Amino acid sequence: MNDQSKAISRRGAWRFVLLWIVGIAILLAFPFIIAQERYVLHVAIVVFFNICLATSMWLIWSLGFVSFAHAGFMGVGAYTSALLLIRLGLPLWVGVWAGALVGGVLALVVSLPLMRTRAVYFFMASWAVGEVIKRIFAYYRGFFGGWEGLFKIRPPRLGPIDFANRTAYYYLALVLMVLIVLAVYRLNKTRTGWIFWSLHEAEILSSHVGIHALKYKAGAFAIASTMAAMTGALFAHYHGYINPKSFDIWTSEFALVHIIVGGLSTVAGPVLGASILTIIDELLRPTEFYRIIIFGVILILTVLFLPGGLESIPKRLRLRLWKLPEDKDTRKSIFSVFGKGRK
Amino acid sequence: MTVQLLVQMTMTGVTLGLIYGLIAIGLTLIFGVMRIIQYAHGEIYMLGAYILYYWFDVLKLPYWAGFVVSALVIFFFGAGLQLLLFRPLHGKEMLYSLAVSLALIFIISSAGLIFFRPVGRGISSFVTGQIQIAGAEWTYERMVIAGISLVLILALWFLLQRTKIGLAMRAVAEDPETAGLQGINNRRIHWIAMGLGSALAAMAGCLFGTLMWILPSMGFLATIKAFMIVIMGGLGSVPGALVGGFILGFIDSFLTTLATSEMAYIFGFIVIFVILVFKPSGLFGQEWE
Repeated sequence: MNDQSKAISRRGAWRFVLLWIVGIAILLAFPFIIAQERYVLHVAIVVFFNICLATSMWLIWSLGFVSFAHAGFMGVGAYTSALLLIRLGLPLWVGVWAGALVGGVLALVVSLPLMRTRAVYFFMASWAVGEVIKRIFAYYRGFFGGWEGLFKIRPPRLGPIDFANRTAYYYLALVLMVLIVLAVYRLNKTRTGWIFWSLHEAEILSSHVGIHALKYKAGAFAIASTMAAMTGALFAHYHGYINPKSFDIWTSEFALVHIIVGGLSTVAGPVLGASILTIIDELLRPTEFYRIIIFGVILILTVLFLPGGLESIPKRLRLRLWKLPEDKDTRKSIFSVFGKGRK
Repeated sequence: MTVQLLVQMTMTGVTLGLIYGLIAIGLTLIFGVMRIIQYAHGEIYMLGAYILYYWFDVLKLPYWAGFVVSALVIFFFGAGLQLLLFRPLHGKEMLYSLAVSLALIFIISSAGLIFFRPVGRGISSFVTGQIQIAGAEWTYERMVIAGISLVLILALWFLLQRTKIGLAMRAVAEDPETAGLQGINNRRIHWIAMGLGSALAAMAGCLFGTLMWILPSMGFLATIKAFMIVIMGGLGSVPGALVGGFILGFIDSFLTTLATSEMAYIFGFIVIFVILVFKPSGLFGQEWE
């Protein structure tokens, strides 16, 4: 990156800083705006967890693949932290780092053989990793509690603050969410982030200009899985109860859905997708089975009519207002097929 | 381990392997021709089984006609899905077609729970009786089912290798643009392949539903198995799907008898992982980008 391009990428940067500060300020004030309503706080905490998962998965996506082992690594973090508390009495403050360490090392070890596979085969191989992790939790009843899972995972205390209080836990989850999103956002802006996208676009070409593809791929996979493991630790202590079902393929798939609906090209995608879809999901809860059907319909409509996801809406509006020609991200795929005939 | 047990397990393994192979061949056909990940393949298999159930056990109509009706209905259902949902996404990011098929899983399986109720049902057997060979019990039902699966797989092989439409499918799978230049209508081949793959899944559902219970949630397990097989054998490869089907059928049959079904499941995934580490594109697969 030379000085000129640095100057270009810095232009307008204050807007993003302002956006971040305003966003965090709103989130900090949020519990008092809603008068500490317990249900709304619960939804907010779930939203934060989902944002953490979707954002860390998006980090893997920025290298061009999707890991279905993500929920499995979340489970590794959750179980490590819960077992440390139950067997050794160590609080979350130790558990979250231990979970991150175990999850990260495991991800690094697994990623070396895993990275030999590509595209669809990677989906499946990572799915196999996730399933094996989940089934191992279920299989060893004595140690991991089997399908019933582990109980009585107390939230931690810090001096006078007891995190059994939802407002307190809200701030804890907020800290993790902001840290993860900020880390991914910043990482994406650095030279490393550019290398990730270059591997996404053309892996062979990148290797030819001297980028060690395996190193970056394994590194990004380990970092993202570490983030998932930390989310898992906080998840376990929030719910107080975990079982292998919480960490199955569906959790990974919902994170993937959040990314696709939110948008694939910037970190705003997973954040928007995870928050809006989680809120819609909560609003639809009274409709029981129909909830999942409506969810599926939303997903299909987004993919067909809004490719590029929610994050592309401002760009679409801008193009519409100034009557600019639509580009490849914003063209509505369905009309190009059914509307104007063959291309 | 007695000889009798060994024979019994081998027989179960072969039957399971053939049925698994049937599901997986449909999936591999869809991927090979269109390069989409049809994640809702198992839900289609579930729908096929339910059509036969309503035809044979509720309406009391003849079994074989129901088998054909189920295959036909699902053929057009699959073709419709292709024309309506997957065609607009053709040539785009593979994640989009993955997302659509994920959404189809949500929609079909929840609709199944609402309409079919989460109650296990069985399709009644069409033949009864058994004989004893080598000390093991061979029910006629199992033998007929294994036979039909084998015939269907051979028929598909014949279609792909010996007919004009099969040649067109292989051409599109190999190189869509060149195939188009030779006058092959890619879109037509796409919906035919999708319908055919779905119909194979439906027929597998009918056969499996006769052997075991059917449930609205049976689809996802079938999807998992089908994907395990297809990945093991190599996406887009028909012999690969058959070999993968047998590997998984034997793992399921032997480990479920000797250990637990849980162990069979874990071991299956470990085998896939190991195969992928040494053959990153499956046993018979090509390199896909």
